[in-house]
Amino acid sequence: MFSQLTNRFGGPLSAALIGLIAIWLIGMVILPQLLMVDYSLKPNLLPSEEGGPKDQYSLVNYATLFGNTIHLSIFFKTIWSSVLVTLLTLIVSYPLAFYMAKVATPKQAALCLLLLLIPFWINEILRTFSWYIILAYKGPLNALLLGLGLIDRPVRFLSGDGGVLIGMVYAYILFMIFPIYNAIESLDGNQVKAARNLGAGWIRTHYRVIIPHAKPGIATGCIMTFMLAAGSYAVPALLGSPGSRWFTQIIYNWFFEGGDWNQGAAYAFLLLVICIGFIGLVMKLFKVGLGDIAR
Amino acid sequence: MDSSVHLDNVVMRFGGFTAVQKMDLRIHSGEFFSFLGPSGCGKTTILNMVSGFLKPSEGVVRIGGEDMTSVPANKRPTSMIFQNLALFPLMTVAENIEFGLEVRGVSKAERKKASDRLLELVALEGSGTKKVSELSGGQKQRIAIARALAVEPQVLLLDEPLSALDLKLRQHMRTELKEIQRKTGITFIYITHDQGEALTMSDRVAVMSAGRLQQVADPIALYRDPKTSFVASFVGENNSIAGTVVESRSGEVVIDAGVLGKLAGRVTQPIEKGQRATLFIRPESFQLGSGLDFTLPTILEEVNFEGSYLTLNSSAADQRTLSVQLAANQYHEDMIAGRALSLSYNSKDAIVIAGEASDV
Repeated sequence: MFSQLTNRFGGPLSAALIGLIAIWLIGMVILPQLLMVDYSLKPNLLPSEEGGPKDQYSLVNYATLFGNTIHLSIFFKTIWSSVLVTLLTLIVSYPLAFYMAKVATPKQAALCLLLLLIPFWINEILRTFSWYIILAYKGPLNALLLGLGLIDRPVRFLSGDGGVLIGMVYAYILFMIFPIYNAIESLDGNQVKAARNLGAGWIRTHYRVIIPHAKPGIATGCIMTFMLAAGSYAVPALLGSPGSRWFTQIIYNWFFEGGDWNQGAAYAFLLLVICIGFIGLVMKLFKVGLGDIAR
Repeated sequence: MDSSVHLDNVVMRFGGFTAVQKMDLRIHSGEFFSFLGPSGCGKTTILNMVSGFLKPSEGVVRIGGEDMTSVPANKRPTSMIFQNLALFPLMTVAENIEFGLEVRGVSKAERKKASDRLLELVALEGSGTKKVSELSGGQKQRIAIARALAVEPQVLLLDEPLSALDLKLRQHMRTELKEIQRKTGITFIYITHDQGEALTMSDRVAVMSAGRLQQVADPIALYRDPKTSFVASFVGENNSIAGTVVESRSGEVVIDAGVLGKLAGRVTQPIEKGQRATLFIRPESFQLGSGLDFTLPTILEEVNFEGSYLTLNSSAADQRTLSVQLAANQYHEDMIAGRALSLSYNSKDAIVIAGEASDV
């Protein structure tokens, strides 16, 4: 691979390129993570105790989670809710991505993309906060539903997980739509025609021809959405109720309110491990390889 | 079973552009029917209307006498072979063939039987478990045919299916397609811009240009008696000489072609005196020397050897290039550029059509 690079860019430039990537990976990703692991394996000590007899590696911080049923339930609830967010986002995104890729004229597709992108020019906190207003007990959504006579008393969207789910689906929809859109776009239109021509209805055409083709895109979108959802802080903090705390909030509390970085690091690392394991499992289930995703 | 196709005063417009002009055409049950025309003439649009992918702006498509207007593409008794074949790459060969049956809820055992039988028909026994990507171009072609036939369509639609194959394979597949059509008795509607394909395989050919039907006839009539100058120049090679009609007898007219003198040819529709007309002579209808009805003095420009025959291009008195086709054994050493060459033809071998020849 290095010889390919030198052939294309010459020796010094390729060395610079590889060097930069190495600095990025080692300095920005690997070392901080190793530092976190190191933190997580040590007890939370006073500065004077560092290097003393108590400063020893142990798994105590990791064991804490399994001893605390509240934290443990929030941990699993976060994973489960992230799965739900991913599924909801997929259900919303797939038809949109299909429409943009295969049904819409180029002009309509461009307009659609623009409409999807514009809200993302506003920062995440503001967007999430606008949902807080929309979903409020006396907010516009309840007013609308009441006005239409669909409900006869306002709904408390923001208690429970509903608000968080809606907020997250909205926050991460682009990460789902784009990979699926790209995947479906590359499907030869004649494949769809051929399926129709052989008698397949729309559901079977999607299930047998379009979805199998779009599988790597769907997997990429799901992985990104799941990771972002599981690691999200702003959305649950703003739209969540006390009953719908996210695991990231607990990690935050350990770091910045409990002042126990070591405990926080152990929690963060556990979340990372579970997320990666979960993705591996999903990839195995759907028979998607890493190569398919990078495509 | 009646598997005729009737395009009943069909028109197709896309915005302000009319892709298919008003057309009333009956394709008989069990016929091998071709649409021949340059790209962009509207022939694929016709196929899409028959298969149900496009709804005609006006008129009705009838298959077996039944109005297809409200029948969606997946419910029509048609089956299409796409130009790029559109085999499903993520399915095996057998799954491809069985797809249409799977849709219809046919049991697994029945499906297997059907795909085995079809694989035998296209001479690819035992390749059912292969991946599509493992097949050669010709094999893919045959799988596409098998897949289309599996659903037992009344009408098979073929959209230039041979254009991606090399010459030898193309010729072989022509025979095979004709053979399959004979065996199954299905109506074939074949789209092509290759006149060789259209002429060798079809029972009848419809020549199209700019969304309009030019002529519908069997291949021999099409070649011998073109009705429009477009057909005369698009189907096969033709030499065209424009002139003014000076004499009009039954079945024959004489034109005044300026410096080339007065020339006569057959007509199928009478042309009045004084009108502009074009005389068409096939390259193989010329003879060297002056033995036939009319003789044109020319200067030889080039000799092209094409295997079984020779093509001589020579320049007539008005600088127009005339081409002559001779059997290869008529080659002579003194056929060299710059030599005077007399070409003669019989008036019964030339045809005169009203109007100036269009450029093809």
